[in-house]
Amino acid sequence: MKQENIRNFCIIAHIDHGKSTLADRILEKTGAISKRELKDQMLDSMDIERERGITIKLNAVQLLYHHQGEDYYLHLIDTPGHVDFSYEVSRSLAACEGSLLVVDAAQGVEAQTLANLYLALDNNLTVIPVVNKIDLPSADLDKVSTELENIGFSRDEIIYTSAKTGEGIDELLDAIIQRIPAPKGDVSAPLKALIFDSLFDSYRGVIISIRVMDGEIKVHDMMKMMETGATYEVVGLSIDTPKEKHITSLKAGEVGYVYASIKSISDVFVGDTITLENRPATDALPGYKPMKPMVYCGLYPIESNKFEDLREALEKLKLNDASLSFEPETSKALGFGFRCGFLGLLHMEIIEERIEREFGIDLIATSPSVVYEVVLTDGTTVMVDSPSKMPKRELISKTLEPYVKTSIFTPSDYIGPIMELCQDKRGTFLNMDYLDQTRVTIHYELPLSEIVYDFFDKLKSYTKGYASFDYELIGYKQSNLVKMDILLNGEIVDALSVIVHKDFAYNRGKVVVEKLKEIIPRQMFEVPIQAAIGTHVIARTDIKALRKNVLAKCYGGDVTRKKKLLEKQKEGKKRMKKIGSVEVPQEAFLSILATDK
Amino acid sequence: MVKSCYIHIPFCKKICSYCDFCKLFYSTHYVDKYLDTLKEEIHNYYHGEILDTIYIGGGTPSSLSMDELKKLFSILSILKKSDSCEVTMEANFDSITKEKIDLFQKFGGNRISFGLETTHSWILEKMRRSLDLDYVKSIISYCKEIGLDNINIDLMYAFPEETLEDVSLDLSFILSLDVFHISTYSLILEEHTKLYIEGEKNISEDLDYEMYQLICSKLSNYDHYEISNFAKDGYYSKHNFCYWRNEEYYGFGLGASGYIDDVRYSNTRSISHYLQKKFHNLEENLSKYDKMEYEVILNLRTQFGISKDKFFRIYHCHLEDVYDISSLLSDGYLVDDGKSISIPKKYWYLSNEILVKILEVYRDE
Repeated sequence: MKQENIRNFCIIAHIDHGKSTLADRILEKTGAISKRELKDQMLDSMDIERERGITIKLNAVQLLYHHQGEDYYLHLIDTPGHVDFSYEVSRSLAACEGSLLVVDAAQGVEAQTLANLYLALDNNLTVIPVVNKIDLPSADLDKVSTELENIGFSRDEIIYTSAKTGEGIDELLDAIIQRIPAPKGDVSAPLKALIFDSLFDSYRGVIISIRVMDGEIKVHDMMKMMETGATYEVVGLSIDTPKEKHITSLKAGEVGYVYASIKSISDVFVGDTITLENRPATDALPGYKPMKPMVYCGLYPIESNKFEDLREALEKLKLNDASLSFEPETSKALGFGFRCGFLGLLHMEIIEERIEREFGIDLIATSPSVVYEVVLTDGTTVMVDSPSKMPKRELISKTLEPYVKTSIFTPSDYIGPIMELCQDKRGTFLNMDYLDQTRVTIHYELPLSEIVYDFFDKLKSYTKGYASFDYELIGYKQSNLVKMDILLNGEIVDALSVIVHKDFAYNRGKVVVEKLKEIIPRQMFEVPIQAAIGTHVIARTDIKALRKNVLAKCYGGDVTRKKKLLEKQKEGKKRMKKIGSVEVPQEAFLSILATDK
Repeated sequence: MVKSCYIHIPFCKKICSYCDFCKLFYSTHYVDKYLDTLKEEIHNYYHGEILDTIYIGGGTPSSLSMDELKKLFSILSILKKSDSCEVTMEANFDSITKEKIDLFQKFGGNRISFGLETTHSWILEKMRRSLDLDYVKSIISYCKEIGLDNINIDLMYAFPEETLEDVSLDLSFILSLDVFHISTYSLILEEHTKLYIEGEKNISEDLDYEMYQLICSKLSNYDHYEISNFAKDGYYSKHNFCYWRNEEYYGFGLGASGYIDDVRYSNTRSISHYLQKKFHNLEENLSKYDKMEYEVILNLRTQFGISKDKFFRIYHCHLEDVYDISSLLSDGYLVDDGKSISIPKKYWYLSNEILVKILEVYRDE
């Protein structure tokens, strides 16, 4: 196919605005897939994606479309829909010339609509605004169109569709061909292919999604990764239509998959450039960034004998997710588990949920922690991703924590409560943009740790669910951080230690201490529960000693029954974790850690 | 060698709202048939051992009429009694009479256990019981008059909404009766009782404990020899010691339990099954391990604890060889006086916690 007849595009949208349904409808219209074959949201292959309505892994599909007497290849590149995966989004945008910006006809423009639009514009994409779900009774086309005008589109650019009924899809396909530019690569130049995704296949190894920018790649070529320098022989090339089609070469402007017996997904970096070993390009494509976990937490199996199963589950997930990191960790309270690193909160929740659902392992997760930078008195810097790794207070000269710039998109009624929330969360106000009279984007600088703690839940409850938000990392700032420990009868409960801003430690400590008092059953002796920074106790409460656990009467008829009762109590004790001399039910950790989310 | 025998008389004139024992409304028709079946059961299973204790419990044995009691005692006369045999009968003040007491004494009865439970009319009403305090006094003095001075009074406390003051008044009354044995029980709200079904709630753990402490201090002139039992020296319940020493006993009658030849059995609680002579309902064959567990659970109820010699004689190992009790000993939750291991009285109200800790770690010798 000549380059002029190729269109590479992606669909971007706020969560739930109908991106995947629209993709399905496009597949159906182009005849790539019959209505009968169409499972809802064809491109999202994992159950969890379908349920959450979000796309986790990328997909690219080639569609043959006939337009005004000519055949066109439309390459639809699907993108993940959440901020945690914004780097992956940016790489798939870089593989395209154009993008459909989908807005829900009832919901209108949301935080991620804007974030995605800016990402697309940063990548110099041609953006087609699409108002979807026009079949909804609550659709307000005029309002949504005005919102789109306010963010820089003209009204006649907008395409109105219903992915559900199929209305407007033909017009949309025509617009894709007419408005999105064809790729302009130099087929004769040395190969430059952008890696925008990868996937592990147990038969073929890593399958890499690429967009060829310049040159050509053929089966049996020796290809070279420009970032790592590793070389592999190309074993096969293919493209989904959406059934897989094997091809012999991919040329400038085209999109497809390459596989080369690469054993680990960790050897392939999204954003890296593939060239040929015998005729390498001089520069790599711009924009490569190594992916770094931003959020860490400990994952422990509730049943301690499931530790090996958990390892296996993480290894399997890691096969397809280079951004997931984990290493074994031991907790006195929780036993053996893993310290895991994630791109963000959603990534963490997805991994937890997949482990529980696909591998059947019930988990306890410790409080999520960001990566802190700690400068020691001797001038060295350590990165701390877990409270247990926090150096002693007297060795610390200063602490820094990651900050993000958040864009909170909200009806203007909630400006007050949101600003209050952001102030409470140590936020610094940046500015505020009105989209129209009723909708506003508020920008704040906030510590990432606050976002990770409970910002999102609070935001939802402060705004009755109307606000949406997005964030990007802007760097580290100095902050007065301390490690707060929780002690039971004088023993530190390692699983409950957190790194927290000093001004918040008191309140947080009080909450945890009170909560524990509710959950931990009375013991044979009084148990003090303390929250402490170093040796300084900041909150304390006591669990009163147990007064009564006795078989009041025990005569001939009661004997066997009472033995059974004791056996039941014995079983109950077995499910307790021992912290020093205190017996703590698992639920205590679960409920404390759950309030942290 | 079996030395004890329990006889269950399930009939009651009124059903108390807290009671989950095996009981039936009194009916002449059933009592007669019941006694016939009881006779057959005893004849079938009793091997003629000489007994040291016989305990007639209920239900309410005193609810039987004079004729029925005569019939009962004549059935029980097959049981061989040692010279010092303790023969106890349970009685309620609303059905006991001087004549019945005489009859019981003539049969050889020498201990009587009265269910008094409370003196407060509002609680009695909720319990669905009745009580005439003057009649109580006259019955107790009659017993003493005729030499039947081995008397127990049952007291129940921790009734919903009951106060410390209420318990204190109950104790004063019981003390005024000057009996040699007092049993006290914190009310347990059992499923399938009227109280439970009506949604009554237990009093707080702390108040319950305060009531228990009040009882201990008001009864300080008695030996607190078992968790729930107080007595003057020489008047400990021999029959109950059979249970607490993990010794064997017969159990005859509806719903009765027994322990014979390493088997703990329970009789059916269904009167129709019982009258059809389907006696045994549940049987638990005890391994050595089970027996050791019972040994621990039961012996630790009394101030005498577990006799180390006896334990070794029966099980051919030391207690501390099979259970890890070292930290309980060092923390003071158990005391070893060289001869026996016991729970100090101040921890009796927590004895389940201690028992669970003992039984938690079992080591095969």
